[in-house]
Amino acid sequence: MNSAEPLREVLDGLRRQHWEEVEVFHKKGRSRTMQVSPYGDTTSLRQEEGWAVRAGDRRRSFYYAASGPPRAVAWPEADGIGLRLPSARPGPHWSPPSTLDAPLIGEGEARGFFSGLAKELDREMPGAKLLSGYLDDGSSDSQLVSSREIQVRVQHRVASLHLEAVGPTATTPSIALDIADHDARRFSPAALARRLADLLLVSEKGSARPRDRGEFILAPPVAAGLLAALGDLWIGPEAEERSTALIDRNGRIGSPALTIIDDGRLPGGVLEAPYDGEGQPTRSVTLVEEGSFRQPLLAWWQTTSNLKRSSGCSLRPGWRDLPIPGSTHLYLQPDPSIRAVSLIQSLSRGYYLIGLAGPPRIEPDFTRFAAPVSGFAITSGQPTGTVARAWLVGSVSTFLSGIVAKARDLTFSAVGGGMVGSPTVLAKGLELRQ
Amino acid sequence: MSGSMLDAPFTQLDTAGIARSLTQIADQPADLADAFFERIETVELPPPDQAPGFRVWRETGLAVRLQREGRTWLAGRDQISADVFQNALRRVARAMPRAPYPLPELETEQWSTPPEAPEVLTFPTAVSQALRTHHVDFPVQLTVRRHRRWVRVIGTHLASGTEGESFYSCDAVMPWTRYGCLLDELSHEKAEDLARRLVNLYHTRDAEPPAPWCGVVILGASATAVLLHEAVAHALEADTLAQGGHPEASLGVRMGSRLLNVFDDPSSAPSGVQRTADDEGFPVVRRCLLRAGVVEQPLCDTAWTRRSDRLTAGAGRRGNRHLPPGPRSSHLELVAGELSRKDLLADAEGGLYLPEADQGRLDPVTGKFVLRFPYGRRIQNQVPGSPVGPCWMRGQVSDLLDKIAGIGAQTFAAGAGWCAKGGVKLPVWATCPEIRIQGVEIGP
Repeated sequence: MNSAEPLREVLDGLRRQHWEEVEVFHKKGRSRTMQVSPYGDTTSLRQEEGWAVRAGDRRRSFYYAASGPPRAVAWPEADGIGLRLPSARPGPHWSPPSTLDAPLIGEGEARGFFSGLAKELDREMPGAKLLSGYLDDGSSDSQLVSSREIQVRVQHRVASLHLEAVGPTATTPSIALDIADHDARRFSPAALARRLADLLLVSEKGSARPRDRGEFILAPPVAAGLLAALGDLWIGPEAEERSTALIDRNGRIGSPALTIIDDGRLPGGVLEAPYDGEGQPTRSVTLVEEGSFRQPLLAWWQTTSNLKRSSGCSLRPGWRDLPIPGSTHLYLQPDPSIRAVSLIQSLSRGYYLIGLAGPPRIEPDFTRFAAPVSGFAITSGQPTGTVARAWLVGSVSTFLSGIVAKARDLTFSAVGGGMVGSPTVLAKGLELRQ
Repeated sequence: MSGSMLDAPFTQLDTAGIARSLTQIADQPADLADAFFERIETVELPPPDQAPGFRVWRETGLAVRLQREGRTWLAGRDQISADVFQNALRRVARAMPRAPYPLPELETEQWSTPPEAPEVLTFPTAVSQALRTHHVDFPVQLTVRRHRRWVRVIGTHLASGTEGESFYSCDAVMPWTRYGCLLDELSHEKAEDLARRLVNLYHTRDAEPPAPWCGVVILGASATAVLLHEAVAHALEADTLAQGGHPEASLGVRMGSRLLNVFDDPSSAPSGVQRTADDEGFPVVRRCLLRAGVVEQPLCDTAWTRRSDRLTAGAGRRGNRHLPPGPRSSHLELVAGELSRKDLLADAEGGLYLPEADQGRLDPVTGKFVLRFPYGRRIQNQVPGSPVGPCWMRGQVSDLLDKIAGIGAQTFAAGAGWCAKGGVKLPVWATCPEIRIQGVEIGP
């Protein structure tokens, strides 16, 4: 039997009941998770399967989602307003990543990874320990059919890791680190231990500085965190109006170094896929090009007058979730000719900020921002002190126009349902406060 | 079976057959093995301009768990059948016998009727009508949900009955903020109460945050519930305590003012969410967390009670079948004091009355604690007067609890909300009086 046949049966059954717009989504997946803590560990093997229907006409609609394989059920009464679904649009050829068929990480491998990480962390910073670790390695296969001739299949392979660690003294808060990749075997205990030790070092030894200005090197997690917090400037139909308020006399919202892209089929991207959660083809969209705002990220229903501006950007992480527009791989374009270390070495006096202690705060009108940061004071390219419990503040406009250089080390972080990436950047005009 | 839940599932399960199958994997004396059966239904009415209009989620599944010497293996599935159970059993087994027992009968009742929720469909209109009686007009995007869940746990030695929960949640999005709450029922009184809270948010939307302040603060019952949830319940969860040592070491430790008598009692929660057994199938207890400010019994699941005979199980909660249980509170109660509202507000001129708290966080390692209040009122002439904007309470948790100087005589069902510790979303409930805190720092 064709694997889409059960979906088609549900679709046809609803069409026979005279529903004009019908979409059936099915997703199944399996994952192995390991949760470790100093007092024990838990290994889970999940097999998840569920499906969802959106159905309606011009006047009313309903949504029904259930676990297990798709089947005809007693549908709920429709309510509310009418439903409109997208039409099928062909997408360019797509080759699935090679990691799709790799086996999930084994229990022994996962346990070995965590014990290796604990040893490396102790080597980097004696006495530091992992408070908890959560590793999830999973694959999924989803299909979607609709009354508008959409029939697509998308497969994913995603591994995510959450770590919490504490330093040798219990006087400073714990720190956390989240990363994602295609395959859990790509997580390097040594590299992760170094990152954790750096974050712990600045958290433990760092102090809040008096108000100071200078040049700031923002490590990828810090720059990506700010990019994500400013998401409403590039995502959705209101983004254009919000960004217009930031345009300077040269017609730009940022420096020539600022090019922001969203790409649902980014080769090698953790969430790369040929189609989005509504069966629309994904593509690369340049939102800001060399400081000039080009267009916002829009789903098909947000730009009915000019479909060419839209891209497949509806996120649908699981079978329970309704599709919502959002970025998949939103990133600041790197400069392949610059190494991150050369940016740091070029700094005469300033700060190298490596961690965010929480989400940045953005004023509702996008005038100013404040981000809790930690990192190093730098003089003549060398670290001269540590900074913690400090706030990087400034106007949003100054941040965007103050990015004067960027390195080649594009790194993504998982934010919300998508990935946001940035290379190390050099920014001017900002301020550090207590 | 609690409350007024109808058509409880899992009553026909072959408990003896399931228990026999579990004994095959619990082949060491101290092993614990159980099967968790779960059915969930959520219905949602979104704001009227959003499609699709009426939304339903229905799911059924199971999980098999084996606990051995500090390690846990868990296999979760999104269906219930004998084959699925057998497959999950195999996944957690460390070694399977050559001749396993026959599969138990596991045919469960299907969802037989289409989902209906007339009370959900009419509630937004009731809230709109209640708002009009306050003579205010502002846009509100209201989403109303009904949550129902049934669980049953069958172990090698113990089989709980089917436990059911039914409650409602509301999310109101306004141009300047959003507000969310849990309700045990949808009624005209609840609609009026929600409208009153939204009107308070409306009237205080432009209020300036208070300047940094150290003095008398009166917390309303809702804010008190959030404070207790963050500062007492989370602090006394065995896994939180373990980050600083063995949870048993907390027994007998003074944690706050002598006025504090705090219980967690799932059996006295609002009628739709009362429980007789936890998500591990153990009978719930009226657990005294703090007696006269001293720790009497932390929140524990079986993973911790198997390490110490001084700890009591019955507080294991699971976000869903795919997640392992963890020690969490369900329904917190702060025992009422003797102070009337007038006594609480006496000699508090210039202090702050903070009726609601919307965020809180406790760092389990350092004991640092923050609580956010969306608005408040300056106490003037012994009554809450002019509004103040959003503000924060910060400090060390034990220091803060030690500053509780008075407890109101009247308790309220208050402060119900979602707790999302570790990304696991669970409903929590509380019954609390208002409290007076002396010498606490409040800032913008």
